[in-house]
Amino acid sequence: MPRWPGLVGTVASALGLGIAGYLTFEHFTSSSSLACADNGVVNCLKVTTSSYSAVAGVPVAVLGLVYFAVMLALQLPPMWRRPERAVRVGRLAWAVVGLCTILYLLFAELFAIDAICLWCTAVHVLTFTVFCTTVYATLSYPPPQEALP
Amino acid sequence: MPNSSTRSGSQPKKSGGSSAAKATAKNPPTKNAPKGGTRTSPGKKTAASTRFAERQARKQEEARRARQNRNKRYAFVTIGLVIALVAVLVIVKVAGGGGGSSSSADQPSPPRGTPIPAATLAHLSSVPISTLNSAPSDAVINAPQPVNQKALTADGKPELLYIGAEFCPHCAGERWPMYIALSKFGTFSPEPGKIHSATQDGNVPTLTFYGTNYTSPYLTFTPVEVQTNYLNSSGTAYATLQTPTPAQYNLWQEGNGGTTPYANFGGKAILSGSQIDFTPMEDMSFDAVAAQVGDNSTTIGASINAAASQLIKTICSTMTHDQPSAVCSP
Repeated sequence: MPRWPGLVGTVASALGLGIAGYLTFEHFTSSSSLACADNGVVNCLKVTTSSYSAVAGVPVAVLGLVYFAVMLALQLPPMWRRPERAVRVGRLAWAVVGLCTILYLLFAELFAIDAICLWCTAVHVLTFTVFCTTVYATLSYPPPQEALP
Repeated sequence: MPNSSTRSGSQPKKSGGSSAAKATAKNPPTKNAPKGGTRTSPGKKTAASTRFAERQARKQEEARRARQNRNKRYAFVTIGLVIALVAVLVIVKVAGGGGGSSSSADQPSPPRGTPIPAATLAHLSSVPISTLNSAPSDAVINAPQPVNQKALTADGKPELLYIGAEFCPHCAGERWPMYIALSKFGTFSPEPGKIHSATQDGNVPTLTFYGTNYTSPYLTFTPVEVQTNYLNSSGTAYATLQTPTPAQYNLWQEGNGGTTPYANFGGKAILSGSQIDFTPMEDMSFDAVAAQVGDNSTTIGASINAAASQLIKTICSTMTHDQPSAVCSP
């Protein structure tokens, strides 16, 4: 197993965690201070204050924070060296969950809210990056063998 | 990563052949072993075992590589499908094939609202005073109440302080007569935009004073729209729009405990709550309500006209010393 999937996944997850943390902070303080252009198509405030900004009452920003926190732990290089099937499958499943979520949110931005949030787009790109490296590395490389006792 | 020496026994070990040869040499065939010419020498058997093991290892390696290549293709196909899906979404959007999935009424209006046609504004501001005054007085449900506060002034003129919120349906109802009344004493530039109260709060069409500027020789109008008509990102409250000054806040709290709408007429009268019942206007279009302004035969028209008449009388009596006479003493 090469080292790059773990390194790429770790960096992307850490960046995603940072952005999700910023969005969460803005969410619980004042959304109006969100650093983002407002030129019609790009309008972070419109997106982050829309009805799609929460799922079952839980802010999407908080869901992103939880997602990247878990993913960061799963993407650390030592975790890629773990031979347990549960770790590999869990990481892959978590990446799929992230991908499905960003596809839903992208659909909402494009067709329901009619605005794009640049911070959210950055999160989407990072989630997709993590998904790509996770899928590729999980399918392409066999799990490390368990050490004999 | 564990090295090859730690791997489990599924893979053949290169040293396996020589070990077998040693074992054969130490233990000659038993009497149960087949007799006759099939017996081979230990050296030949060792070479055959080695070749067999190598063939097996090659086959396993080839199978492993084939499996790995196949999985890589699966990975690329999966990633490609996702990229294709995103591309389709973007193309459909850019090509204009995917309009909003919900109606415009379900969308939050921008804080400044959308422009109102000049003809509509002219219609609202030109309703004759006589028509307003002839509206049935029981068409209103509330009225400004006289108070005796410190004179409220701004720019050397009596100040009309209005505090409302764009989500608020009561405020949505109140802005109609407020705009009509203020139009008799001055002009807005820019004019108010068209909004509606929050969709989950009546979706009442109205106009907003946010972003407007009012000029009058008689009074100063200070509108404060404290919240938008859409929820903040936590979904717990409507997003903040404007913040009253401490003095305005104190008057507001003192006047009606901080509920909207609130209006203070130069410290001489206050309006707490709306003068009219907004419920007949729920989910109506802006134009449908505007068309009834000036028409005392409809419930909505009569209530807006009567409320505007009350406001004009209050402004005349508390703020402008009954000026202009064409408005205050028609």
